[in-house]
Amino acid sequence: MNNIFSLQNKSILITGASSGIGRQVAITASQMGADVIITGRDEQKLAATKELIAGDCTVIAADLVNEREITHLVSQLPKLHGVVFCAGVIDYTPIKFLNAQKIADIFSINFNSQVLLTQQLLKNKKIEKAGSLVYVSSVSSKLGVAATSLYAASKAALTAFAKVTATECAGQRIRSNSICPGIVLTPMTDKAMEASADEGMEKAASEYPLGYGLPEDVAGLAVYLLSDASRWMTGSEIVIDGGLTLK
Amino acid sequence: MMNIEKFVGEFAAQFEDTPPESFKADTIFRDTEEWDSLVALSVIALADEEYGVKLTGDDIRSAATINDIFEIIKAKKG
Repeated sequence: MNNIFSLQNKSILITGASSGIGRQVAITASQMGADVIITGRDEQKLAATKELIAGDCTVIAADLVNEREITHLVSQLPKLHGVVFCAGVIDYTPIKFLNAQKIADIFSINFNSQVLLTQQLLKNKKIEKAGSLVYVSSVSSKLGVAATSLYAASKAALTAFAKVTATECAGQRIRSNSICPGIVLTPMTDKAMEASADEGMEKAASEYPLGYGLPEDVAGLAVYLLSDASRWMTGSEIVIDGGLTLK
Repeated sequence: MMNIEKFVGEFAAQFEDTPPESFKADTIFRDTEEWDSLVALSVIALADEEYGVKLTGDDIRSAATINDIFEIIKAKKG
């Protein structure tokens, strides 16, 4: 059967696979036939992710903020047919409370580490021809929600980077696209809701015609982008937000 | 040593349009017209920057007066 959405015989690296979107992308990709390599900082949580995966799954823990760990990770990788960059953190800081350290910290994880991982994968020729790079950005990069300046800016930077990657890799038919999700219910957003002063989740969820998203929703889009079904798509930013930006 | 007057002053400084003199320890901050979720986030950022304490949205919701927030910060600071 020739299923254009299948990931059979594809080796896929997923970062941020300890939880949330990254974990689900790994699970769904494996269900679609991919051999997955999962990375994150927390070995225990990665092991828990692996438990949920029936197919081929390799665990390589790494802190991508550390360039040496990126090198070490890349050196252990086979040639990949796809990478999904899910590692990232949220931050709510009003502009009056920004400082150089906060900017550096958020950008280090959300932007710099994704860039350097991309750089090392390409330099070491770890991405197969016609491979697919998928960057998880955020709808925040397009809105201007109060207190999200660092988060939004780092995700906007990532999206712009993904487009240049698309141009530079087009010669090898390697595609690069970003996903811009709205709020997805994950440990990251759970923590953010708890920490922020929002008047309760129910009110914010009502801004979404289709309610908040689930990791499975983003994973489905990631699978499409990793599969041959999207072979003509590159340099795209795909918003998936339950209708939030309609309003 | 934590000082309530100092804290009231810092709290008042998070507002742009409300005169600082109108804030006292027993002020019900939510009744201030200018109060919104961004000011709330500023108070959370203030607690972290000045006192090294992580306030949550629930902490703010459970407080009525500026003194209530002061007490929560003091308790978390230990």
